[in-house]
Amino acid sequence: MITSKKIVLIGHFGVGKTSLIRRFVENTFSEDYKVTIGVHISKKTIEISDNKTSVSLVIWDLEGQDDIKKTRTSYLLGTHGFIYVFDLSRPETFKNLKSELSFLSENYKNIPVKVVGNKVDLVNKAYLTQHTGTFKPLVEFFVSAKTGSRVESLFSKLARELF
Amino acid sequence: MNQDEKLSIIKDILLTDEREFASSIEKKIKILESTVNERKNLSTKVDPIINKKLQQFIKEIPDTLGPSITEALKEEIKHSKDSVVEALFPILGQMVKRYVQHEMKLLSENINNQINKTFSFKRLFRKAKSRASGIEESDLIIQDQTNAKIEQVIIIEKGSGIVLAKYSKTKMADEDMVAGMLTAIKSFVEDAFKKEEQDLQYIEYDLYHIHLQNFSSFYIAVVVSGVYNIIYKDKLEDQILKFVNEKSVIKNLNNKTKLTTKLEAFFKNDNI
Ligand SMILES: Nc1nc2c(ncn2[C@@H]2O[C@H](COP(=O)(O)OP(=O)(O)O)[C@@H](O)[C@H]2O)c(=O)[nH]1
Ligand SMILES: [Mg+2]
Repeated sequence: MITSKKIVLIGHFGVGKTSLIRRFVENTFSEDYKVTIGVHISKKTIEISDNKTSVSLVIWDLEGQDDIKKTRTSYLLGTHGFIYVFDLSRPETFKNLKSELSFLSENYKNIPVKVVGNKVDLVNKAYLTQHTGTFKPLVEFFVSAKTGSRVESLFSKLARELF
Repeated sequence: MNQDEKLSIIKDILLTDEREFASSIEKKIKILESTVNERKNLSTKVDPIINKKLQQFIKEIPDTLGPSITEALKEEIKHSKDSVVEALFPILGQMVKRYVQHEMKLLSENINNQINKTFSFKRLFRKAKSRASGIEESDLIIQDQTNAKIEQVIIIEKGSGIVLAKYSKTKMADEDMVAGMLTAIKSFVEDAFKKEEQDLQYIEYDLYHIHLQNFSSFYIAVVVSGVYNIIYKDKLEDQILKFVNEKSVIKNLNNKTKLTTKLEAFFKNDNI
């Protein structure tokens, strides 16, 4: 029987959370209710090649909160893994990276967090090097929902860690 | 016949009557005696009279005592509206519930009468089913009419919305996403009407009724098609409680395979 894990994407408005999920999952759920309750749920089952087993990722996309502390906490209950997304092209979305991440690690101890810079297609190598001080220990992936670069590896790495 | 003979005959006639009269009087006295002496016998005679008086008294109350009682109540309500409402609220709730139950019972009785007038194979089948399941035939008919049917049962972890086990009769939407959606809606609504221990218990979705029954670390969602009414809800609640208690659900929350088997075995017959 396939195990399911709850993944929650968080990050500022417009950083590309929804786009990342769309890129990863084709199988999106009806959008009817999302407007009213601010959550969008998708699912994708992936194989973890090493042990020939599958994991279903049930992915929660939370709508438009710029302040992570204002997120409806009941939506975060029971999360198995977080993906924290920021927009590489907009420094205001990663300037408070440390404090926003510490909020997660304090309130959701022992739950893995993948920190992801999205829209890598919009920036060049020099730019990344320039901000490397901010990114260095925390950020694990530079991805692009637009080109699809490293999106798959992000989710499958998280899935493997959760299993 | 001489004079003497005539006299003797007359005497005979008169005396016989007298004797019979005396003995009949004696009988009546005996009955009266027993009636008065034996309480039970007396009460059958007297009670109707008392009852009649009482009925009359009750009939007259509104005219005699009524106005003063009403006046007192009016005064009392005017001064303490809140406490009156508070006092009446549960009673009214009960009354409404009882009224609905009463109406349903009447309906079911009507149906029972109907059954006895008609014959069909369907009825034969239902009778057998009623006997086998121990469910009143009239309830089965209500079921036939309203056609409430369990489509899907999902045991869902609270908070995460992760599916612990599921059983679906018909191919429905993906249970993981349904469970996630239900959990999100549940959280949203419960947050929005934040009152202690207020659990969302019911969602209508499309043509389906989603019955939610809460336990400590999980909840059970039952997707029902057809008419979901108070009788059905009551029975469903009982069945779910029975399932959780008798099938040691809590002990098996982490065993998806075992829980799924139990769930299917319990709900596949739809004997609600
Ligand atoms: N160039 C580029 N644009 C992106 C990328 N990901 C998202 N966007 C755009 O960014 C905007 C916000 O994306 P959205 O997914 O709605 O962000 P969300 O608010 O975090 O869900 C949209 O106009 C997307 O087309 C990306 O990788 N590259
Ligand atoms: Mg979005």
